[in-house]
Amino acid sequence: MAFSTQIDTEAVKALLRALEENEQDKAVALLDELTSIRESELYQQVSLLTQNLHKTLDQLDDNSLLLQAKHDIPDVTERLNYVISTTEDASSKTLESAEKVLNITDSLEQMTQGLPENERAEYSQLLSEVNTELTEIMLTQSFQDLTGQVLNRVVLIISSLEQSLIHLIDQSCHDYDSIPERVENRDEQQASEMKGIGPNVTQKSKSDTAQSQDDVDDLLGELGL
Amino acid sequence: MQINRDMNILVVDDFSTMRRIVKNLLKELGFHKFDEADDGATAWPMVQSGKYDFIVSDWNMPEMTGIDLLRHVRADENLKETPFLLITAEAKRSQILEAAQAGVDGYIVKPFTAATLNGKIHKIFERVAEKQAEKQNG
Repeated sequence: MAFSTQIDTEAVKALLRALEENEQDKAVALLDELTSIRESELYQQVSLLTQNLHKTLDQLDDNSLLLQAKHDIPDVTERLNYVISTTEDASSKTLESAEKVLNITDSLEQMTQGLPENERAEYSQLLSEVNTELTEIMLTQSFQDLTGQVLNRVVLIISSLEQSLIHLIDQSCHDYDSIPERVENRDEQQASEMKGIGPNVTQKSKSDTAQSQDDVDDLLGELGL
Repeated sequence: MQINRDMNILVVDDFSTMRRIVKNLLKELGFHKFDEADDGATAWPMVQSGKYDFIVSDWNMPEMTGIDLLRHVRADENLKETPFLLITAEAKRSQILEAAQAGVDGYIVKPFTAATLNGKIHKIFERVAEKQAEKQNG
């Protein structure tokens, strides 16, 4: 829908006349009248945009955008944070083990001191190869720094996208807080479980899961397995 | 109990890292005959050859899941006794119960330890030995 943005020529002529005749008060009043028409047109345009946005959001199937904004985006952030912390833990465990083995090779190196020269040289050579491989293992763990930085950045971008969507939802006169829970019917839930859903890393997905191998064993034990 | 360390084992997982880890752990336990498959769909024709004494499989794989592979195995008259261990990140109680109903012999949730794998393998083959003894006696 187009708005009339035409300026009334008579109104402008009147303004010019007022200025030429140095009637300041009249000129100001005419100018105000002209700008107020423009302002109200602008207001109508913004209000139309908002109405369109509201309609568009309403027409989306099952409010999918609203549900995505409320549930999927936080879910993605939670999953990415799981990746960040899991890779960090794994790297740190690997580093700890490698450091322990380095200490052991140091002790072994000391123990070769008492051996005859030719044997000592042979052991030294092997130990030095072990140390080289261990150093390689430790350096490889630096992947965590790189992937962690990238993932942190992705989390930031997603959070900012989330904020924009919440703002958009607000602007379209929807209440973010009253967006309902995503409901999956029993058949759909069972089908996705049979397909495999991966690690249950979000608070929501942790419900009704075995928390440890002991839990699994207890459950199977009840069935005689 | 003595477990046959020469048995043929099929390791099924879509992640090559995981296949490598499982194979290395099995090697540490003294096993040395392995084949690999990256999906239930590629594993099934291999299993049908009748070569394998033990199947270790992931659950969540793109073409055919581990639970479907298990069901195929249990539904085949010649293969139904094959010991089947699931190593998976799937940890919903309903999923574990489903696997038990489908006839799984062991269920390990990831991440797991070498000791857990060792314990489960022992338990599985103890039960296999018990079943064989029952058959012979019966």
